[in-house]
Amino acid sequence: MSRTTYVYDNGVLVPRRRLLASTVGLGALGLGFPGLALSKTLKGVTLNVSVYSSDYPRLLRPWLREFEESTGARVNLDTPGFPVYNQRADLELSTKGSAFDVVNVTFIYSSRWIESGWLTPLDDFLGDANRTAADFEVSDFLPGALAPERGRDGKLYGIPWTAQVTLAAASRFDVLKAQGLSFPETTDDWLKAAQAVNGKEGAAGFVADNHYGWTFPPFLHAFGGDIFRRAPDDLFPTLDTPEAIAAADYFSKLIRDFGPDGAVTFNADQSLQSVKAGRTNLTVQGQNYLSQLGDPKTSRVASTAAWGPVPAGPKGRFPGTAVHAFGIPTGSRNKDAAWQFITWASSKATQLRAVEAGYGSPTRRSVIESDRFAERQRINGHDLAKLSADSIDLAAKSGHMKYRTVSVYPQVDQQLNKAIELIVSGQRSAEQAMKQAQTASIAELRRAGIDL
Amino acid sequence: MTTSATLELARGRRARVGPASTAHSSASNSASNPASSPAATRPLASATWAASQARAFRLGLAPALIVLAAITFLPGIMLVTVSLTPLSLTDASATFRFDDPLANYRQLLVDERFLNSLVVQFKLSTVGVLLQLLVGLGLALLLDSGSRVASGVRTLFLIPMVLPPIVVALIWKIVYTPEISPLHSLLAQAGWPLRSLIANPDTALWALVAADTWQWFPFTLLMVLANLQMIPRDPLEAARMDGASRWQVFIHVILPYLQRTLVVCALFRLIDSFKAFPLLYILTNGGPGTVTEVTNFYGFIQAFNFSYWGYGSAIAVVMLVVVCGLSLVIAGLASRGGRHGH
Repeated sequence: MSRTTYVYDNGVLVPRRRLLASTVGLGALGLGFPGLALSKTLKGVTLNVSVYSSDYPRLLRPWLREFEESTGARVNLDTPGFPVYNQRADLELSTKGSAFDVVNVTFIYSSRWIESGWLTPLDDFLGDANRTAADFEVSDFLPGALAPERGRDGKLYGIPWTAQVTLAAASRFDVLKAQGLSFPETTDDWLKAAQAVNGKEGAAGFVADNHYGWTFPPFLHAFGGDIFRRAPDDLFPTLDTPEAIAAADYFSKLIRDFGPDGAVTFNADQSLQSVKAGRTNLTVQGQNYLSQLGDPKTSRVASTAAWGPVPAGPKGRFPGTAVHAFGIPTGSRNKDAAWQFITWASSKATQLRAVEAGYGSPTRRSVIESDRFAERQRINGHDLAKLSADSIDLAAKSGHMKYRTVSVYPQVDQQLNKAIELIVSGQRSAEQAMKQAQTASIAELRRAGIDL
Repeated sequence: MTTSATLELARGRRARVGPASTAHSSASNSASNPASSPAATRPLASATWAASQARAFRLGLAPALIVLAAITFLPGIMLVTVSLTPLSLTDASATFRFDDPLANYRQLLVDERFLNSLVVQFKLSTVGVLLQLLVGLGLALLLDSGSRVASGVRTLFLIPMVLPPIVVALIWKIVYTPEISPLHSLLAQAGWPLRSLIANPDTALWALVAADTWQWFPFTLLMVLANLQMIPRDPLEAARMDGASRWQVFIHVILPYLQRTLVVCALFRLIDSFKAFPLLYILTNGGPGTVTEVTNFYGFIQAFNFSYWGYGSAIAVVMLVVVCGLSLVIAGLASRGGRHGH
């Protein structure tokens, strides 16, 4: 596969070879425009697209003009920060207003938004050959990425553009090897490894993003615990089971005994910086964060970093996954145009082009398995692309991520954050903190109208 | 406006009663209505003019008052209305249901996290404001000289107050993160290693108070400095000539002059402390656990993390009542200060 170099032309990123600029038809084909979208059928239509700020919309932005020139539509791409986006979208969708034509279906809100009837089912679009080109191939998307976008009615409500998965990493794998250790695979190995490397070469043993409602569940599941009894049908919380208490005790010990000073205050960016600077050795975080360890421009540990799956516990391995997708609000007045935008933005060609420009979280298997992506994601002999795809498949098979798309999960997420903080900071024992979290979660869920 | 209108009317009445009239009313009358010559018609025209003037003022003010009312009272009314409902974005059926309007307020009384947030708020506000007053007052006394050095230092001290709160929060995040903190690094080099202050439940709140004090002591500094420059020199000199020590001069002469300024500073800062958010959000996120979770932060979590807009609004109403109470106190003290000033 030959490498395409992109250059900015009049503010737009285009391939040097001008394949795309030469003719609209050829360009459309190359960029994933379905043949039917080539005519300027959307002249006069303004599409309002809102997606939280991240690398994919950042890559799409300079390419929008090509979509606009091919279709005649105008696109307003709004990319606020993640929390701001969620608040704004949640409010706008709840009114069933027409302010947005395309929205990001945020993972933790997907169930709420889909089951509330705030999003348009996409099956009719997908099944209509006049509106969806044959080469769009929805079956090309990872099943694990499509699963959270389906409603209880079995219909699809979002086309995934990013599938993030939690992986494990060692920033100074050389230090582990010097201690005679291989990359830790199990929770027992992790404890030994964290203990062995803690304080070595000026690095702490372990750090995790203090959004514990996200970083703790892989450990909770590994110990045989869960958030709910059986999400999404039985939402009785199970935070005070012996397995959950053991998992909380284990996870808090990693942070308290082997974390950098003040680790309980470290958010995702701080944790990543600590690992990238070689100040902490082991971590568990999203692959889109951890792949940055291999970037020699920003990482001091590019040559010594190693990656692996999240640790397996007594009950198995349970990587966390988070999928974000493009969806169409019920209130949109430009649904056909919105669908054209989505098919363009998530087409095989656009995802390949994004990967070429450095994107690290594609959702199409054909793109993940492409030579270019594999080449980019193979760092220090580790195949991050395969690690991610395997983890997503694992999550799809076990279904352990269903807890996360439950509409009332944010309330339980808060309780988990507080519980782990209380244990790490020595204010409560694991048992006390998890029992407190259980009681508070039950109260919150009852308050939310959940029949327990 | 009312007074002048009354005076004009009084002049008009006097004119109707007798032939005498003021030069002013004659002039204004002839100016406003040169065609009417008899003296009896002049006061009437003057009164009409005053009434027109008053009406014109009212009409001129009306748009501004309407806009002001719309942007202050309407959201307030909306807030109180929502607080009487179980409005939640996750439960469409709870939208504007008034079957149990006090449910949110009853829930507040038994919500341990809310009650804890009030205690945290109390600690943060009282200790924080007290420190701001002491530091601001102390530095103002030191800098109350006409020297250029003092003037330069004064300007430097104002910097924290004019920085955007989020920038202040980021500065303190660096200061309080041992891995990258110059403070922790210096102390470690001096042989006094310091553990993270914001990760320790015993020190996290006081670390926030220190950061808040750093940002807001310049407010007191500025107010007190302005007040110091208005203190008459005579009583100061008289006290000194009578042999009073510096401390005695401060306690018996200067402090009484500063008293009202300090009270107003304290109340303004108390009200503002209820709005503390960026420092908390960036430095501790209310933790570890809930040791730094103040009331407005808890309200934010309820509304924006859990989507309980009705409950979040009830928390906001409670805060609004407290802040309004403090504002009334400020207004009362300010007006008393004004009367004493005369």
